[in-house]
Amino acid sequence: MAETETETETKSVNSRMRQRPIVRLGFLLISQSVIVSVICCTAGVLALLLLPVLAKNTYISENALMPGSASSMLSHQEILEANKLVRDIASLSSKPSGAAVESRGLIAQYMSDLGAEVNYHKFHLRSNQFHPLHFFSGPGSEAIQDNFSCSLYGVNTVGIVRAPHGDGKEAIVLVTPYDSVRGGVGEALSLGIAYSVFSLLTRVTWLAKDIIWLVADSQYGEYAPVTAWLRDYHTPVFGDLGSLNTEMCDENENIFKLKENSIPERNISYTFRRAGTMAAALVLKVAYRNEHFEDTLSIYAEASNGQMPNLDLINIVNYLGVHRQGLHVKVEKLWSLLESKWLRILGEILESLGKLAKSLNPDWKFGISAPDYVEGTATLASSLYYQALGVPTGPHGAFRDYQVDAITLEISPKYSFNNKDRRNDFLLQGGRLIEGVIRSVNNLLEKFHQSFFLYLLTSPGKFVSVGVYMIAFALLVAPLPLVAASLYAESNDLNPALRKDKKPINSDDLGGLLKSWKWLNSAKRVFVVHLWGAIVSLLPYFISHICDCTPTTNFLIWISLSVLILLILHQILGSSYSHVCEIQSQEGEWALLKSVTISSVFIGLSLMSVINFATAEIGALLIVPTSLLAYPLKLDIKTRSLRSFSRMICNLILGVISFPPATFFLLKGVLDGFEGINAGDFWNWVESLWAWNSATYLYIGMVHLPCWVLCVHILLHSC
Amino acid sequence: MEAKKEEKLSKRSSFWVWVIASVIFRLILVYFHKNLNLSSRPEVSTPLTSIRRLAEGYWLKQSSMSPYAGSMYHGSPLLLSLLGPLTVQRIQGQPNHLLCSLLFVLADVVSAVLIRATGQKLQTSYSQSLKLLELDNLLRSSEILSSGDVASLVYLWNPFTIVACVGLSTSPIENLAIILSLYGACTRLPSLAAFGWVVATHLSLYPAILIVPLIFLLGYGLDAPPRKLFVQRRHGKGGDNPSSGSSCQQEELLNQSKPPLTFSWKPVMHFLFWASVWSVYVLALCSLSVKQKGGLWEMFERMNIILLALFGLYRSSKLNNMDKQVVLDAVPVFTYGFILTVEDLSPNMGVLWYFFAEVFDFFRNFFLIVFHMNILFMILPLAIRLNHRPCFLAFVYIMISSMLKSYPSVGDSALCLGLFGLFIFELADMQFSFFLFCGYVGVSLLSPVMHNLWIWRGTGNANFYYATAMAFACFQIVLMVQSTSAMLNHDRKLRKLSVTKP
Repeated sequence: MAETETETETKSVNSRMRQRPIVRLGFLLISQSVIVSVICCTAGVLALLLLPVLAKNTYISENALMPGSASSMLSHQEILEANKLVRDIASLSSKPSGAAVESRGLIAQYMSDLGAEVNYHKFHLRSNQFHPLHFFSGPGSEAIQDNFSCSLYGVNTVGIVRAPHGDGKEAIVLVTPYDSVRGGVGEALSLGIAYSVFSLLTRVTWLAKDIIWLVADSQYGEYAPVTAWLRDYHTPVFGDLGSLNTEMCDENENIFKLKENSIPERNISYTFRRAGTMAAALVLKVAYRNEHFEDTLSIYAEASNGQMPNLDLINIVNYLGVHRQGLHVKVEKLWSLLESKWLRILGEILESLGKLAKSLNPDWKFGISAPDYVEGTATLASSLYYQALGVPTGPHGAFRDYQVDAITLEISPKYSFNNKDRRNDFLLQGGRLIEGVIRSVNNLLEKFHQSFFLYLLTSPGKFVSVGVYMIAFALLVAPLPLVAASLYAESNDLNPALRKDKKPINSDDLGGLLKSWKWLNSAKRVFVVHLWGAIVSLLPYFISHICDCTPTTNFLIWISLSVLILLILHQILGSSYSHVCEIQSQEGEWALLKSVTISSVFIGLSLMSVINFATAEIGALLIVPTSLLAYPLKLDIKTRSLRSFSRMICNLILGVISFPPATFFLLKGVLDGFEGINAGDFWNWVESLWAWNSATYLYIGMVHLPCWVLCVHILLHSC
Repeated sequence: MEAKKEEKLSKRSSFWVWVIASVIFRLILVYFHKNLNLSSRPEVSTPLTSIRRLAEGYWLKQSSMSPYAGSMYHGSPLLLSLLGPLTVQRIQGQPNHLLCSLLFVLADVVSAVLIRATGQKLQTSYSQSLKLLELDNLLRSSEILSSGDVASLVYLWNPFTIVACVGLSTSPIENLAIILSLYGACTRLPSLAAFGWVVATHLSLYPAILIVPLIFLLGYGLDAPPRKLFVQRRHGKGGDNPSSGSSCQQEELLNQSKPPLTFSWKPVMHFLFWASVWSVYVLALCSLSVKQKGGLWEMFERMNIILLALFGLYRSSKLNNMDKQVVLDAVPVFTYGFILTVEDLSPNMGVLWYFFAEVFDFFRNFFLIVFHMNILFMILPLAIRLNHRPCFLAFVYIMISSMLKSYPSVGDSALCLGLFGLFIFELADMQFSFFLFCGYVGVSLLSPVMHNLWIWRGTGNANFYYATAMAFACFQIVLMVQSTSAMLNHDRKLRKLSVTKP
């Protein structure tokens, strides 16, 4: 009997040991977490460096677009008209007084002569406000409550062409920022290009969507007028609410009245006019950059929080620019990377690898040439940087908040603007490009949805889609849950072994009882630090309201207040439930703390990768090694081996580098040189981030900084 | 002794400090209600619990129309008369729904206090039964921390509860009704238990399945180790040495005190009687509130309709326009039918909306039955396995229904997690607690982000949001499975200990 019993027992033990393969694989990964994390992190960094090689050529995904299938209808007639407008504006701007009002009137006059509906849109400049959770609410949710100053205002001029074939439910927007006071030749030329296209579109029969031409009054920046116009466009006011807002500062109404008398126009009005929902928006700018190669077209696409317009829009512009107008299309690059040596070496290695692969099997074509690689990397880096910053790179960013795809096109001619013969050609070229794009978008049956929204550009014609770049990120963060699990398991297994000798004491205390809930103490600590992070990220708002100091003093106040609050929180919340803490301040405590920290890093990074991938990627490059390597210095000093010594050094270096201000100054120093660095720069940078409601700011304050503090806490742990 | 008393006192005061702190925290959040805009979140306010819909229903009622006209309001008419006036009343210079918010805060605090009382009841009965089994050494630990305190603080400070309370969903009141019924059953007050059960069922239908644990609670008494153990113990004792004085005392103790090994029918009968009284009463109130001249006949008609609604998805299959006119005032169809047929497919935390948005129309009825049967199928096996632990059974039922109900919100999960705290000593060895915690935190943060990506940015789609809903359901399943297995393991441990003990 007894034998059979023991047999069944051993059998049951065996069956418990023989687990399913996937569970065993999980245990294997967790037990080998050090090797796995080293491999994964290296692979993650390598995959990031390989992205330019893995980039695919762009293609036009939406068949309805058919770019360039129709020949351009823009003729010299329109160009002559446009040239006349440019000359008129140039002559106006030479007169100093009243130029603003008159140029506005002039543009409106030109528009209404074409038969378009014209209206003025007056907007008031709003002070930058900090909406920390703006990201989660839709646009315009706080539109009415905002306060604004009456003295600062601008007037946009809006012209609308109604489509003969359309039902007035869709529209395409063309924006030309124009500073009526300081506007230069470039802005006049951009008006000219827009005017030539606009005048053509009043006459064509194929138009299916209304065309809105917004001349944005950019005397207070290019972004503000576009946002104001979009806000009013999308939040129609009913009844007295709207008039209340405008009547609050109506002392300037006479400006319009004055003009009304002087110009006998048919279609100019002061009520807000609307067309349908916007299919796409193009912001047109002309700049002279003194580049002697060819006419270039720069595309800016990054909107707030790393949002990008649909790739198809960039594709059309790129296709038409390159294949129809012969422009040199480019996107922003990080110039300092172009000269870096190590990148060139890496590129050469990759090139030779590609050649080798090709010699082995001619079907393998993944090699790109070294200069291509360097250029691709520089573009990719700038793409990542601008997305991570979360600040839009132009007025197109305002459209993305309303789910409208928009890009800024900056055309710069080869010759200077003064060359009169060249000007007509230039106007024709630009006009035909815009016409082609508008005609393509006009063909669109639904809103842009076919192509990618989540991508990184490595050149105007090459992109890395989300499926590819997520691999690099996933490899980088994959070790986090593994290491957290292994640390957690270790510290749970460790304690019973330690407790064997003092069992009678422990059987009745809480720690012994709630064995599986021991992590709660560490979780509380992590929570307190994250709470501190939230408070710290709210501080700049109050500091900037309270005192009018220089950035440097603000920065210092911020740091000292943060440290003070950290100490206070530690005093208050660190000591509650002390009898629980006493039991658990034992050997394995730092391991549990590290495990919980790593879990919070993982959750934070995963969240951020959904909100803004680029921030998460850059943040992961910094915080993942820091949090994975964190190990109490005291233990390292005790062991005195080469391994522990090198780990200590790494920890110290990473601990310094991943402190956000240190990272900022280091990067700034590397990119711009270390001479002009000022402590206030960081404050300015942070202020710009929160003024633009960037999610990166919240990431730094509520994920990165608390995790850094916790890592330092683990480093200095007294175990 | 003195020290112990003092400790107890300080513990009690610290408990109340935390309660007051939670109330203050809620009030602060209520003040910033507009900035948070929580009441428009799909996770917080479902079609059944949204206060905006309730205000609309109240407005319709005030203008002497049926509140169910216009398919906006689907809640109970009682709630309409209770909360409706509060949605209209404004205090100058204060946030709009201040009075409602105060009521919800009050409901939360009352629920927490009731949870605490329930927890204390449970703990005393637990220690009593352990004493009977002579497993006193397990007990000492539970004296340090009271599970009732833990559970009520978990309930009060749970972000889900806070969000549901500040976000002006009516789920605090539903939760209060459920907790009230549990409390009534634990303190053996059949009338109170019946009242809570009837109101909870009336408000959200799903608590109807709680009748099983409530009957067990009243019939068998509170949670205890399996009854077989007591029988064994008693027989073992009886056989050993009947002459010794101590065992005589034991015997007496066993005889006079619980646990009753037989099912006592009297309180159950009381409960059923009270339940029928209360349900008639509630229905009468409903008929009064919806239609002032409601007679007895109509009330019976309504009761019939409840039966129909419960059985055969009455509305979806049979109701054509003619019938609709006839039963336009029939409240239960509009609330229960709405719950059962999953008419509103706007996104929420649950798993049903996406499924029924995708499913072909001719399979719809079939899948409706399948999904609702899912809940019903689990009632019987769980009731058999866990009949000695009725409170835990109630927790498992609530968990299941909060996972599979047609319009779940964070308030339901809040109730689950609050009740979970009642069993911390039994569940001390639960596995994956840390994993579950991280999962809950991660998913509840990810859900609004995905919603934003889908609705506001337009770069994601419904799958993104639904993925988080499924992940949430998965974590709930893991929590349920792990807690049940931990509870069964605990019972096994007790059996082992009591068998090995001489």
